[in-house]
Amino acid sequence: MKEQDYDSHFSVPYLLILPSMIILTLFLYWPTIQSVILSLYRTAPFGSRRIYSGFDNYINLFTDPVYRASLVRSAVFVLITIFGGLAVSLVLSVLVNQKLKGIKIYRTIFFIPYAISPTVAGSLWVFLLNPVAGHINYFLDLLFNVQVPWLTNGFFAFIAIIIATIWKNMGFNIIFFLAGLQSIPDSVYESARIDGANAFQIFRKITVPLLSPTTFYLIIMNIIFTIFQSFGIVDIMTQGGPADATNIVIYKLYRDMFVNFRPGLAAAQSVILLILVLIVTFFHFKYGSRGVHYQ
Amino acid sequence: MRKFSVLMVVVLAFILTFSAAAQEPVTIEFWHAMGGYNGEIVNTIVDRFNESHDDIQVEAQNTGSYNDTLTKTQAAVQSGSAPHIVQIYEIGTQVMLDSGIIIPVEELGREVAQDDSFDWGKFLIPVSNYYNVNGQLNSMPFNSSTPILYYNKDAFEEAGLDPNQPPQTFEELKEYARKLTIRNEDGDVERYGFTLGIVGWFVEQMTANQDALLVNNNNGRGEGRATESYLDQEPVVRFIELWQEMVDEGIMLNPGRGWDGAKQAFLSGRAAMMIESTAQVTNFTNNAENDGYELGTAFLPRPEGVDRGGVIIGGASLWAVRDHPEEELKAAWEFLSFLSEMEQQVYWFENTGYFPVTKAAVEHEMNGQFFAQNPNHLTAFLQLLLSKRAPSTQGALIGTFPEVRQIVEEAVEKTLQGDMTPQEAMDEAASRVDRSLEQYNSLFE
Repeated sequence: MKEQDYDSHFSVPYLLILPSMIILTLFLYWPTIQSVILSLYRTAPFGSRRIYSGFDNYINLFTDPVYRASLVRSAVFVLITIFGGLAVSLVLSVLVNQKLKGIKIYRTIFFIPYAISPTVAGSLWVFLLNPVAGHINYFLDLLFNVQVPWLTNGFFAFIAIIIATIWKNMGFNIIFFLAGLQSIPDSVYESARIDGANAFQIFRKITVPLLSPTTFYLIIMNIIFTIFQSFGIVDIMTQGGPADATNIVIYKLYRDMFVNFRPGLAAAQSVILLILVLIVTFFHFKYGSRGVHYQ
Repeated sequence: MRKFSVLMVVVLAFILTFSAAAQEPVTIEFWHAMGGYNGEIVNTIVDRFNESHDDIQVEAQNTGSYNDTLTKTQAAVQSGSAPHIVQIYEIGTQVMLDSGIIIPVEELGREVAQDDSFDWGKFLIPVSNYYNVNGQLNSMPFNSSTPILYYNKDAFEEAGLDPNQPPQTFEELKEYARKLTIRNEDGDVERYGFTLGIVGWFVEQMTANQDALLVNNNNGRGEGRATESYLDQEPVVRFIELWQEMVDEGIMLNPGRGWDGAKQAFLSGRAAMMIESTAQVTNFTNNAENDGYELGTAFLPRPEGVDRGGVIIGGASLWAVRDHPEEELKAAWEFLSFLSEMEQQVYWFENTGYFPVTKAAVEHEMNGQFFAQNPNHLTAFLQLLLSKRAPSTQGALIGTFPEVRQIVEEAVEKTLQGDMTPQEAMDEAASRVDRSLEQYNSLFE
């Protein structure tokens, strides 16, 4: 049998990447280009009128205090959700990493929120936080004699959305942390114990640094999750309200597109989001390995 | 011989199938936003139509909420697969008129279907007034409702109020709510006097009830389009003020945005009065019977000394899409005309609580003693019929109405949270609406 000489065939590498290029072009690049084009027009509902407007949509967005507030709000939301979420998940993963009886059941319990859809998760939280018949207010009333206006006050609604999003994404984080924890060899812990380190020192000096590759990956994934996937939870729980307190960028985009019927404005917002995600990805590639401790 | 007869049967079956295919009925796609129980009623009516019309097959499809239905229709139009008939909420009227895709039902009936027997005056005037623009009926009125005040008569008696004297003015509403509110020894409210969901529709209705306009140019029904909103004027602001004062005083429950919270509070006895759609009359009456209290209904309150305007018809209507073969348009007309017949109207009304929209159906219900036996339905009806005939109660035509509603809802939330005074919030809302109108109108210059 004759050995194939791939170098002599100029087209082979191109043929090999062709299938994935076709898929990427159809489902990623083409829609992206369409969005960019759409963002330069003002379009009437039903597409009956289409007027070229240059960068007007972008100018309108950045001069609109509602949009600027929404950007800031989203940044705060993403930061709190990611750091809160990762901290809670890390603690929980250390707990479910113990060799306990029935540990698989506990792990499953913590993973379930990730498996349900955002819509269901949002509805569950609405039931729990309901001011009239909600369980959370019932217990708060019983224990501390307070009634919290969860979804009708801007501040508490924002907190409620953060809690729901953290709870929803916890399963994903726990799975990765658990895998990370289990890949840290026991010998490292043993020698630390022999040297007389206490539990906190072990956690601080061994577990956290050795988990850093996982943590870094999770931060990037969580940024993307919280920007894009929190939409379902916001839509069910608060619809961006009260008084815009939970109107994060992805929800505003949805509303401009599907409720206010301004495709041009919505397309401009999606282009801005795309640029933001590109920046995150750039940092991921460029600084991905710095400060991250690989064993 | 046996084999031969089997073969004959098979051949016969084939012939029958193909001959049936040759006379395949015209298929009409009908998109609607009626879910749950009301959706089943729609399906029953569609089945009745299909059974009585061999040559037409109507396929009804639930396309989600009103807003989803409008969105899906837009997408379908752009991909060339629009339905024949689509149910659009009343605030989508201007968008549909501007869409360039619809055929006004009056043109459909008169010119395409050449239906001379159809009586265009059969609709109740407050209903047809809303959908009559540019001198013709543009869409077929379908599910219509208005808001009314619901109250718990037993709670009135407990509080020493006359259950047959519901509040008529803003001042009375507040005074009654104060008396109806019950606090426990800790000072927590056990029962609120009044509740109202944050829904822009109520603001529109309370404005019309004071015979005031929501936007300029005769509510957008005059010479030109609406260009300026009146949200910052007294009729709107004083209602928002009342709302904020009552919530602040703790005599009114703020259940947040949307319909469900307020409804739940009223039905569970956490609030003694509320304003809701007349489409809930049957539901609320049944609930009161099951829970053993008496339900009262009344017209919407208005400020003391202000003349009564009335209510605007809410709900949705059916629009026909032009871009279909003539044969299919005729079939669509056949279905729309069937829906406006008395029998269907009565069935629809008695099962869903939405108003019958034709005079014949109302007469039938009068003769059948329906209103005598259901006084709460009578309240709903009288309020509509006694409404003044003016642009204020005809309802506003605004191209960006869904957005306007949201702006209003946000403004209400801002005042209830104490971020702004009612006047400040409505000033801001008015300027946002003006900007939205300007951007929309510039597309159609």
